[in-house]
Amino acid sequence: MSHRIELSTVEKTFGAGASAVHAFGPVSMTVEAGEFVSLLGPSGCGKSTLMLMTAGLLEPSKGSITIADIPVTGPQTDIGIMFQDNTLVPWRSVRGNIELQLEMRGIVPATETEKIDALLRAVQMEDFADRFPYELSGGMQQRAAFCQAMIHSPQTMLLDEPLGKLDAMTRESIRSDLQRLWMQERPTVMFVTHSIEEAVQLSSRVAVITPRPGQIERVLEINLPYPRDFDVKNTPEFSAYVRETQEIFRGYGVI
Amino acid sequence: MASFKSYTILSMVKRRFEQSWMFIAFFIGFFLFWEYSVIWFEIPRYILTPPSLVITKGAADLDRLLYYTYVTGLEVVLGYSIALVLALPLGLAIAFSQTLKRTVYPFIVCIEMVPKIAFAPLFISWLGFGLLPKVIIVFLVCFFPIVLNAILAFSSLSEELTLFCRSTGAGAWRTFLKIRLPAALPQCFVGFKYAAINATVGAAIAEFIGSDEGLGFYIQIVTGNMRPDLAFAGIFFLTLIGLCLFGLVTLTERILIPWHISVRRS
Repeated sequence: MSHRIELSTVEKTFGAGASAVHAFGPVSMTVEAGEFVSLLGPSGCGKSTLMLMTAGLLEPSKGSITIADIPVTGPQTDIGIMFQDNTLVPWRSVRGNIELQLEMRGIVPATETEKIDALLRAVQMEDFADRFPYELSGGMQQRAAFCQAMIHSPQTMLLDEPLGKLDAMTRESIRSDLQRLWMQERPTVMFVTHSIEEAVQLSSRVAVITPRPGQIERVLEINLPYPRDFDVKNTPEFSAYVRETQEIFRGYGVI
Repeated sequence: MASFKSYTILSMVKRRFEQSWMFIAFFIGFFLFWEYSVIWFEIPRYILTPPSLVITKGAADLDRLLYYTYVTGLEVVLGYSIALVLALPLGLAIAFSQTLKRTVYPFIVCIEMVPKIAFAPLFISWLGFGLLPKVIIVFLVCFFPIVLNAILAFSSLSEELTLFCRSTGAGAWRTFLKIRLPAALPQCFVGFKYAAINATVGAAIAEFIGSDEGLGFYIQIVTGNMRPDLAFAGIFFLTLIGLCLFGLVTLTERILIPWHISVRRS
């Protein structure tokens, strides 16, 4: 089954009557199964709104969304979500937090021990499985949160600025882990970010979103071979994509 | 192995002492100052007595003090327990029911503004000098902090965790047990602690107003007889009740939420 995400003329308006705010859309877009698509735009452009609507956690005012040809009418459970502020609970260890995802879904964690260990190894967190979130740095917390969001092997991953609060060096390192995990598991990814470089490095396509109301201004195809490591950023092709994206935002007075 | 263990205990005691010797010194200093200032400044014994006299005279009247500690302690424990048993489910219900939030919640906030202790004379005139009016007063001063903090606790789950719960497709009960309840406990304990501090205040004042036994009654009577030494002994036992209750709540907190920052820091 193909886990293609299809958005058709999706709109979101908050409030009603005279005080209504037209926040987003209309937007139409297709994300192919296994694709890594970034939603790139400045703060307040509605990219998180779009992500929540795709997850079925927020109802669109107009238009429709389908995942694998099934209309999204309520919360989707075959997804992994991540936010800027992670969803690790302070009363559980890293392992406990990963198990929480399974327990919430009625899966006995003991049956998935190997998978948890493999995920922890993939993000170099195997030595921190029994640590509590408050004992970890922000970057390590986000690594743990990645494991939490992936342990149930979701076909779709919705990542809302998961690296937003991290310093540049940590971002760099987690980015490559994220890319490796994506290439390994191949979920369909919608990645919300406001970093142009990050979007170009990770994505097969970048949806450039301009604000008030949020609109997909352009969808850029990034034709660079994976895996894209640190060196790819020194290539002229990479710079060209970055420049092209910057030009779009400059045209809209965003930067 | 044994020597290693004793070494760690010894170093632990040493570390504890290094952290708190200033406090201990200040504490002892305070009582020494009290003791000797009464003598130096020749303060009459019916105004203030030195702590040494509080201990000896209090010990002489220990039977009465212990019995009254039992009486007041019973009021405190009953009032606090009833408040806990009723306030926690009510707070939970208000947090999860929009109807209750619009009806009962504003009412509780209004009543919270009323100084509960002002009802004490009324309850005593209605219900007499016995145990019941005191338990009701203790209940009242404990009930509101618990219920208000419980409402706050159960309605302030972070946006991210709320979305996470919904995305897992877990039912209301599982979400409650695995996420909402543990997330709410720290704020609940704020209410439990506040109520524990209120409880002895409520009991003492209720006894001042109308009673024929208990530590509040005792303090009032001995003060009337110009016996500040015995009044201080009564205050000591009243404090002891409060400390035991507060200690019990804090201990429970440490056991239930060792991960929380308020517990980690201490």
